[in-house]
Amino acid sequence: MPKIFCVIPAWNEAAHISLVVTEVKPFVSEIIVVDDCSQDQTAELAKTAGAIVLRHPINRGQGAALQTGNDYALEHGAEIIVHFDADNQFLASEIKEIITPLIADQADIVFGSRFLGKKANFPFVKKYFIMPLARMFVRLFLGIKLSDPQNGFRALNRKAAEIIRISNREMAHASEIQARAFKAKLRVAEVPVTVIYHDFGQKLTGGFKVISDLLINKIIK
Amino acid sequence: MLQQVIALLIIVFFIFRLIIQRRTQQINKKEFGLWLTFWLIALLAIISIKQIDQLVARLGFSGNGINFLIYLAVLALLYLVFRLRLTLAKLDRQVTDLTREVTLRLKK
Repeated sequence: MPKIFCVIPAWNEAAHISLVVTEVKPFVSEIIVVDDCSQDQTAELAKTAGAIVLRHPINRGQGAALQTGNDYALEHGAEIIVHFDADNQFLASEIKEIITPLIADQADIVFGSRFLGKKANFPFVKKYFIMPLARMFVRLFLGIKLSDPQNGFRALNRKAAEIIRISNREMAHASEIQARAFKAKLRVAEVPVTVIYHDFGQKLTGGFKVISDLLINKIIK
Repeated sequence: MLQQVIALLIIVFFIFRLIIQRRTQQINKKEFGLWLTFWLIALLAIISIKQIDQLVARLGFSGNGINFLIYLAVLALLYLVFRLRLTLAKLDRQVTDLTREVTLRLKK
């Protein structure tokens, strides 16, 4: 089996982090929790549950935490890196499915999708208004032809993780990773994943912030 | 005419203030040069307001020279805000890189 690292960015996730780390553990070689300067017990709980904990001294956002995790994983010989959320909305058992195309060498990067048939208890506004708008935007402006532009569940082989450097430190990283994958002509695959929403997640205003961050990052290079 | 005199007095006041700031080294040479150029252009624009009126009319704008200068000033301000946003974004990225570097070094 290849050396699989799971990177979990976490900010004030004390309520879920122990369970998430425990559930992910059987499917990967190492778990890296990047604690993004939480004010609660996230770091301690993650460590107790068996994760390697990296702690940002100041809060920098999910995209920044993912890149920190990627850097650490690459430095420690990761062959596959899985990105997973700390809020217990994904199913750890689906890590097997998301890494299958990488192990079979059919893809360099695999994106989870909430729109390919598996269960996702979407809030109505998100499903029928926010997501179609987001999909249209990334297709038009970034050339991304994927069904889910904002999914945090993905897996990259070493080559993809070395090529893709995340510069959007907040939520725009999801679309940025997809755009960079297409730009670098990596082999891209999508697999259906289950998402269980505990709250609404990103709102429409968050969507506008994503767009603005993507544009600014494109300009400053 | 009175408006022009008031505007000129204001500009002269700011140029005078700028010279004091430079003498007391509150601003560097580059900033001094930039602001001095700005106020001198403003001074020139106020002095030649009639010519600007004629130019604006010739270009087909309905407003007068003062309005035209205000539009230009708003555009300049928008541009400066945009530049500021880019500078902040660059700084923000550098802070993130630094944070990552510290985090990874502390783990070693």
